[in-house]
Amino acid sequence: MRTTSTDPVADFLTGFTNADVDAALAAVADDVRVTFHGLGVRGTGTDSIRRVLEDIVTAFPDLRVTTKRVVRIGNVVTAEIKVEGTQAADYAGAINQEKHLDLDEAWRFEVREGRIVAVDAYWCQQQLYRRLGVKRFDQIAIV
Amino acid sequence: MTMTTQARSASDNAAVVTEFFDRYRARDVHGMGDLCAINADFSYPAFEMWGKQRVVRGDGKVGTVGKAIWAGLIQAFPNLSNSVHSIEANDEGDVVVQVDIGGTQQLPWGFVRPAGRTYSEPHLFIFKVNQDGLIRSLTAYWNNAGISQQLGHLEVD
Repeated sequence: MRTTSTDPVADFLTGFTNADVDAALAAVADDVRVTFHGLGVRGTGTDSIRRVLEDIVTAFPDLRVTTKRVVRIGNVVTAEIKVEGTQAADYAGAINQEKHLDLDEAWRFEVREGRIVAVDAYWCQQQLYRRLGVKRFDQIAIV
Repeated sequence: MTMTTQARSASDNAAVVTEFFDRYRARDVHGMGDLCAINADFSYPAFEMWGKQRVVRGDGKVGTVGKAIWAGLIQAFPNLSNSVHSIEANDEGDVVVQVDIGGTQQLPWGFVRPAGRTYSEPHLFIFKVNQDGLIRSLTAYWNNAGISQQLGHLEVD
């Protein structure tokens, strides 16, 4: 049985920082609503967020997630993070050229009863593709 | 004589930011700037323009970097508007806003040539409002890939 947390966002970010997807998802409600604006992904349920986290953890095995600022307003918690790593596998359609990624992101969480019930993640996918050596949006896999 | 400062409430802080987006919608750059403290910090992490010899980034002060970006954006998109979806604020001056910003392109914007196309893109703004009711800092996140593709620009740079 999963337990609720007094600070599920901190637990989630710790899991993400440690590339421990299961630990991150332990802080998330089963019916979580997720929107990853950069990826154009919207969904409901932990599978949506699991896929996004597993993709980045797999593609960037030396992933480093740095939390720069956390803003808490009632049940809404917003975290500004920097995601860094070296590409080791294809990611978001971009083939692996062993490029270094550094990307500023903002994740807005809604929390209820000790669980994350909504996630809206914002980052610039153009910046991400630029870092990974992608030249065109309509030819992401061509370098 | 002892001066005391009235504590500001969450609704006071939210009102400042609501007014900011009202003035943005009215394309009143000076009015937006007037809501910010002198030397207010400005950060648009997604804003970076790679030239041959240098990268121009959207980091600095509202007065020097922010107002120039807002004015340039409004010039390129004369009908620029915004639609605020949520505002959360606390008594400490933190205000977080989900807002769609968009418009129809009439002039070049960065490397994007005008084709008369319209975009609308979700943004997340994080403000800090000071005890004087002025914006002390603002940071915004969005996806430029969404904007570029809506405007018909398919090159990453």
